[in-house]
Amino acid sequence: MRNYLKQIGTILWKDLLVEFRTRERLITMGAFVVLVAILFNYATDWVRVSPEDIASGLVWMTIMFAGLLGVGRTFHLEAEDGAFQGILLSPVPKDAIFLAKALANFVFLYIVALLVVAVFMFFFGLEVSRNFGMLAIVIGLGVLAFVALGTLFTAVSTGTRMGDTLLPVLIFPLLAPVVIYGTGATSQFLAGRPLTEAEGSIKMLAAIALMAFFLGSLLFRFVVED
Amino acid sequence: MSSKKILLAGTVLAMIGLVWLGAVYWMSFFWVSTEVTQGIAQRIMYVHVPAAWTSFLAFGLAALFSAVYLWLRDERLDRAAVSAAEGGMVFATIMLITGPLWGKIAWGTYWTWEPRLTLTLLLWFIFLGYFLVRSSTENPERGKRHAAVVAIIGALDIPFIHLSVIWFRSLHPEPVVIKAEGPTLPGDMLTTLLMSFGAFTVLFLGLFLLRYSFENLRSELDTRSRHASV
Repeated sequence: MRNYLKQIGTILWKDLLVEFRTRERLITMGAFVVLVAILFNYATDWVRVSPEDIASGLVWMTIMFAGLLGVGRTFHLEAEDGAFQGILLSPVPKDAIFLAKALANFVFLYIVALLVVAVFMFFFGLEVSRNFGMLAIVIGLGVLAFVALGTLFTAVSTGTRMGDTLLPVLIFPLLAPVVIYGTGATSQFLAGRPLTEAEGSIKMLAAIALMAFFLGSLLFRFVVED
Repeated sequence: MSSKKILLAGTVLAMIGLVWLGAVYWMSFFWVSTEVTQGIAQRIMYVHVPAAWTSFLAFGLAALFSAVYLWLRDERLDRAAVSAAEGGMVFATIMLITGPLWGKIAWGTYWTWEPRLTLTLLLWFIFLGYFLVRSSTENPERGKRHAAVVAIIGALDIPFIHLSVIWFRSLHPEPVVIKAEGPTLPGDMLTTLLMSFGAFTVLFLGLFLLRYSFENLRSELDTRSRHASV
């Protein structure tokens, strides 16, 4: 067990180190988030709608699209010089590779997701301070579900001729529940409603994230077999 | 069962299904009584509801065959999975076309975010992904494995999608009241509907077996041409 965690830790640390040295994905996703918010500003008639009304939907859609950009690059670094074959040939179990890759994606996307909230606070005067802790938990659970499905299906789509273009077709239908419960809970928090109202949504998000991680680590071995 | 027998069984079942379907059409146009409030548009039900059932059956079979394929790695299971998935796509498309036509007249709108509607549309896209993965992967063996993973996750996600879309709707009640049919259905309507369920199921099984034996022939052709080129 300790060995298993060490293996996950090693791959995770490698991915984090590479990313924090090159900062490729974080910069791209971060820039995307800010630019999207600028475009949203011009795409919305702020006289007729107030930020609170549509913010939760916009926040979640921004996270989803930024996430696509991020997880789509999961295996690119290794694909370039055949390094992924090396990882697959190493005695590390396949589910440990999956968990490490998904957790690395989680770290990047969670940073970006919090940036999304900050950007909406800054640009549109969104009031989040009342329930910020709970909001961070809800977004964290949604991001967990996203990276589990995203990492698994990125491994699928990188093997096809279509590459990353296929990724949204594969994961968006599966992510519908995450968006529904995520926006539901988020809009309740933004409206300052009591926590008990969002309890059902949070439990469902946790169940989806758990299920996605379980299935991902179970099925990843079939995806990277060759 | 030899491939010839499968082909024969498929042909016979598909024929029975087609004749049966003809009888269902006759019943739904000339025999069954017209529903009072919706008028003749309600007759769409005899196509729509059985198509829905058949597509769920087909997608369920596709996911089941996919799971066993990953386990046993028998090529025949993959052929069965793709045959079932294709049947599912056909019947889901029928359901998605007839649904809005009926909805426009019964509810006054083509589309409503009704849970079952949404679920089916998402399911249609999941299996679209299944076929895209299969056809765009260069190594066919890998394509089969990847597609199987898509089918399994898609099938297991159904409960979550179903729960979430119901939950979503309860937050935003629809202005139109969806007519609850169910056990209150009059006798002749129930007979026609059950006949239609039978026709669709038999037709699907026939088409499935035909498609499966077609897939067998194609792989045999592949093997032979590979031998010939060597």
